[in-house]
This record gives sequence, structure tokens and C-alpha cells, in this order.
Amino acid sequence: MLKEIGILVSTKWDFFGKLLIQHIEISIIAVLIAIVLGGIVGIAISEYQKSAKLTLGAINFLYTIPSISMLGFLIPFSGIGNVTAIIALTIYALLPMVRNTYTGMINVDAGILEAAKGMGSTKKQILLRVQIPLAMPVIVSGIRNMVTMTIALTGIASFIGAGGLGVAIYRGITTNNAAMTVTGSLLIAVLALTVDFILGFVEKRMMKHGKEARKQNKLMALTASVLIACVVIAGLIPRKNKNVIHLATKPMTEQYILGEMLKFYIEKDTNITVDITQGVGGGTSNIEPAMESGEFDLYPEYTGTGWNMVLKHTGQYSEEQFDDLQKEYQKELGLTWDVMFGFNNTYGIAIKKDIAEENNIKTYSDLQKLNGQLILGAEYDFFERQDGFDMLCKTYDLKFASTSDMDMGLKYQAINSGKIDIMPVNTTDGQLAQADVVLLEDDKAMYPSYQAGMVVREDILKEYPEIHEALQKFDRLISESDIQRMNYEVETEKKEPKDVAMTFLLEKGLLE
Amino acid sequence: MSIAIEFSHIRKSYGDTVIIPDLNLQVEKGEFVTIVGSSGCGKTTALKMINGLYEPTSGDIFVNGENIKNIDMINLRRSIGYAIQGSVLFPNMTVEENISYVPSLWNKNDKEKTKKAVDKWMEVIGLDSSMKDRYPSELSGGQQQRVGIARALAASPDILLMDEPFGAVDAITREQLQNELKSLHKKTGITILFVTHDIEEALKLGTKVLVMDKGEIEQYAKPCDIVRNPATDFVKKLVEKQRRACSLPDERLMECEYCCANIVS
Repeated sequence: MLKEIGILVSTKWDFFGKLLIQHIEISIIAVLIAIVLGGIVGIAISEYQKSAKLTLGAINFLYTIPSISMLGFLIPFSGIGNVTAIIALTIYALLPMVRNTYTGMINVDAGILEAAKGMGSTKKQILLRVQIPLAMPVIVSGIRNMVTMTIALTGIASFIGAGGLGVAIYRGITTNNAAMTVTGSLLIAVLALTVDFILGFVEKRMMKHGKEARKQNKLMALTASVLIACVVIAGLIPRKNKNVIHLATKPMTEQYILGEMLKFYIEKDTNITVDITQGVGGGTSNIEPAMESGEFDLYPEYTGTGWNMVLKHTGQYSEEQFDDLQKEYQKELGLTWDVMFGFNNTYGIAIKKDIAEENNIKTYSDLQKLNGQLILGAEYDFFERQDGFDMLCKTYDLKFASTSDMDMGLKYQAINSGKIDIMPVNTTDGQLAQADVVLLEDDKAMYPSYQAGMVVREDILKEYPEIHEALQKFDRLISESDIQRMNYEVETEKKEPKDVAMTFLLEKGLLE
Repeated sequence: MSIAIEFSHIRKSYGDTVIIPDLNLQVEKGEFVTIVGSSGCGKTTALKMINGLYEPTSGDIFVNGENIKNIDMINLRRSIGYAIQGSVLFPNMTVEENISYVPSLWNKNDKEKTKKAVDKWMEVIGLDSSMKDRYPSELSGGQQQRVGIARALAASPDILLMDEPFGAVDAITREQLQNELKSLHKKTGITILFVTHDIEEALKLGTKVLVMDKGEIEQYAKPCDIVRNPATDFVKKLVEKQRRACSLPDERLMECEYCCANIVS
């Protein structure tokens, strides 16, 4: 594993380096906002103590919201990406900041404050010259905790399409690449420890008295501020250029590959730059709203998902309804299915091989034999979708011993290790070949068709008609066996999605 | 002589608890008034009402003839020196910064003037100028109290309020500080109000002694009179030890030169 990590870091340093810088930028911005905001709130509630309990209670409450749900709450308001990540991180950073500031402020010796008041200091002078400087050690130690926590938490940010080292972790999980996950995590840990060390040094320096030490402190503070300002400004500069379109993909290996393929081909064929956000957590439920709000311009989607989840039709989708699907997408959402890739990624049910063999289970109906005894694991989309869990249970009259939510990528690890017995899969999953499972037959034809296609905002097609031209090259280009093979290459043979995509384009003659 | 501080029908209560029922007092300019009484008698409360740290429930306080209700509190406080018990120097500031705290509230730009004031007061209070850059934690208790007094005096106030400033120092240092304060008063002629619970200190330092009990004035007189003619039983009990510096019987106490001589100077 160590060797793998070493190779990964040395060969993909520009990838990790970019993520590291993004990680630092996101964390620093969140930390700075939290310091200013939390500092002000902490000082304010130490002045107006009556409001302290309520304020701390409210911030405490926010702090207890699990980070994933916090991001979920925020998406409707601030969309996908860095802004939401920074808001969420700031909210979490507020509690330690406010609490430490408050504690530091109220624990300043009352006698000293009365002396300052009695000597004729204004409220502002007491705060700035006496109380805040004396509370500083407590505040700084709070900042130190908060910064370490924020750096670690920033790893979650990629779930909603923000950058940072979480991207590596998430990609590693999705594409079954443990080395990448570990590398991302290690880099976060190293970053957190380094920053903690630096802050510890700052803390120590602040304790130092004497004129010489003060001068040095001032110099160092100035240097640090300039450096931080540079990073923050660099992070804030909008990177929106003309001729840039935003491509999103769901956290699925085949979508990573499709993403690389499309980005490369569109950029080669037109003079448009494709800004790609790979593996947006939550898939359709997070990408689709962002498409409507214009944050993303195109993403690969599946017809059945569009019919049931986006358009919220209850009936089962079949490809005869494609015209209706297309019409409603264009009329209601301003989106269009611009090209169909040619493979059907439908749902299947996979069960652990030994269970299937012991009980002679071959079809969904056979599951009746073990009704109420199996543990089902699935990504949470499955429980939410109309054509997901409920439909499976209803159509085949099934019950399960228990169910658990897990990420698409973690499912296979769970079934291999025996934590779950049965799981829904995508028929294109490369990991199917590797896992110790049997795919069951959908004997009542419950699952609809899920043809993969490209959903594009109509506005962007009007603005850049050349995108339509480029996309048509992919019409019916990829067969199911193609995509299974590519998934397998990435997930099992540990090839880079980009390399797999390139090879495929070469094979199909779209690239020389 | 004009009046520096006047309490007129001052009442202070917290809810139903009356700390000071009705205080009337005039302090003349240049007096060194020591206020003595058991803890909880209202002496600190009375002192802190002068610079507005506590607000009287009713009644008026006049400083140099002006009702403090009509003066800007910040300016009033800056013009009154204030020294209190314990280590209440600003621990984040050097000796120099502590002493120049009040002047720096006033004149931010006139650093030269502030510096001179610091030098002057350090010398007056008996602090070596090499201590300027030290922090309070690097000073002894006595040195800290000296800095505290220098800080109270740095803006050259004509009134100085002191709340048990020597409460936390050892007996020898205390004696030294008392002597220095006394000579300082003589040199500058400023009005000092000095709260203490130690009758010996009160008699030694004050040109006038104010004895308080339960928020009321028991006696306000020269130290000599306090000892010779205690106005109430309370005062009499308080000065019992001082009255017994000699073994003369009560009716001949006036004749004893020690009983007052060692107090009045």
C-alpha cells in the first residue's frame, strides 16, 4: 500500500497538488470568516450576557447537524460547489470560535476591567486594549482547534462538488481505488498537523514578551497576513471565463469515464473549455437542481431516472415514452436529451453467491424463500426513488431483515465482507465481475429502461451550437459491453478514467 | 478652603438591602481622608460612587462643586486617579505602558509628554527606570503596588481614590509604601480618599478619618480626635488599642502625648 501511495503521489503530483491548494483555499476562507464572525459574536455575547445562553444554544444546535445533512439543507439556497462548502464549514467552525472567545472574554479578571473602567477608558478602549488582549490566549487556542477541525471537515466538501482533497477520497471510494482514498486522507492529516504546528508556534510567540520579540512578532504577522491574503484573493478571483461550460458527473465510475471523454472531445473539437466537476455527491438529486439554476450545463443521465425522479412520474418508463420525456424536459425544465450514448444501465439485484447457491435463488421471486431474513444495502437514492426500494418490496412482496444506506462504492466492500447480503446494482458495474455475487433475474420485468444520454441546457446549445455537433459523434457509440469493460479497467485494473477514455476514443477513431 | 468632594443625601440600596441609608459628607481640598470600617460597611461603595463605578439610588455627588450627573463620566474618571487592591495592573502591558495608560487615553499623539510623565512618576514612587520594560508578572508585590500608584497619578489628577491599595503586601513593604504615600501627599497636596479596614493605617495616614458602620458615618474627625474623643461606642471599640498605647486612665488620656503624638504629624 505504501508503495502504491508513493507511486500515486509522485506520478499524479499535479492532481494532488491542485487539490491540496483548493483544500487550503476553502479551509482558509471558511476559517477567516469564522474568526471574524465568531469573534464578533463571542465578544457581543460576552458584553450582553443575557443573550449568551440562547446564542450558544443555537450555535450548538447547528454544530450537531451531521455534515452531510447540513450540505443537503444548503444546496437549495447556495447551490453546488465551493460557496456551499465554505458556508457549511463556517457554520461548523463558529461554535469553537464563539465559545472560546466568549469563555476568554468573561474569564478576564473583573478587577482589572473595573480598574480600566475606573481610570476612564471608554467601552471600546476597555475591549480593544485590555479585555481582548487578555482573552487572546484562550481565543487563539480555540482558533487552533477550529482550524484543525475545519481542515479535516473540508474533506466532506467534495460531496457537493467543491474541490479539495476530499475529491481524491471520494474518487478513490467510487472507483474502488483504495490507494487514492488513503493518499487523500493522509494529505489532509499532514496538512492539518502542519497547520497545527504553525499555530502552536504562533501561540508560543504571542506569549513572548520584550521589545525584540514584539518586533519579530509584528514582522512575522505581517508576512503571514500577506501570504494568507494572496491565497484568499487567488481563491476569490472568479475563474469564469468566456467559452467555458460546466460539466457534472455523478459519483459512478462510468460517469467519470464519460466525463473525461466528453471534456476531451469537446475541447478538441471546439474552442470551448469544459470545466468538469466529477462525482457530485447525491447524484441526480443534487446535479439536476444545479442544472436548472445554471450552475451546470450538461451531465450524463439515464432516461428512467429522468422520468421517475426528475419528472416525478409514478408509472414505469419504457423507451416508447422517450418523446414524452424529451417534450417535458424541454418544456418544463429547459433541458434537452441531446444525445444517447447507446448503453442501458438498468438496475439489477445482486445477492451473495453462497446464499444464492444454498437456497437455489435465481429470480427475484425466489427471494420469497428468505423473506425477511436478508440485509439489504443500497445508496440512499435507492430508498428515495419511486422505482427503488418500495417498488421492489411491493412488486415481489418482499421484506428485509434490515436495510442500510451506503455509498455506491462502499456497497461492494460491504457485500464482500458479509455486512450485507443483497444489494441493488447497476448492470454496467465493473465491480460485478470481481464481486462474489449472483445477478438475479427480474422475472416480473419490474425495472424500467435506463438508457444513458446527455442532458444539456437548451440555453447553452443556443449559445454554442458546436457543442451539439460534437456530442452527436457519441450517438450510440458506447455499447453495454464497452462500458462494462471500461468500468472494469478503472475499478479493477486501476487504470485512470482519463486513460481509459482516451483509449476508447482512439479505438473509435475519434482521436488519432 | 473649598470643597473637593461632597455627598448629599446619598442612598444606595440593592432591592431591599440598604447599603447606605443617607450619607452626607464634605471633603475639603487637599485632605487625606482615610475611610475605615468593617467589611460591608459601605466604604468601598461610597468610594466607587465618586468616579461613577456605582450609581447612587438617590442623592447627589459633587466633585469640585459640579454634580457628577452633569459631567461626562469618561472625562471625570480620567481626571480622578484610581488605585485598587491586589494585582490589577494590566498583565499584557509593560510597566511603562501601565503607567502611561491614562495619559495615552487622553493624548494619543503627544508621546514625548507621556514619556516624561512616566519618568517623573516612576521616580516619585521609587521605581528604577530599568523596570520600564518589565511585565507585571516580573515584579514583586510591593513593586506592583508602586506601579499601581504611579499609574493612578500619571495623569496628574487632583483627586486620588484608593481602595485598600496596600491590602496584599507584606508588613515591611506596607510600611514603606505608607510613608511614601504620606510624603507624596505632602508634596503634591492632592485630595486623597483612602479606603482601609485597618484602623492603624487609617489613623497613621489620614489628615481626617471617616469611620463608617452599616453605611452610616460614626465619626469624621482628625485622627487625634478620633482617639481622644470617640463619638460612639463603635468608634471607641475600634480605637481601643490605640487609646491604650499608654496606661493612663480614661480621664487623663488627653494628657498623654504619645496617644496622639505618634499619630498626628
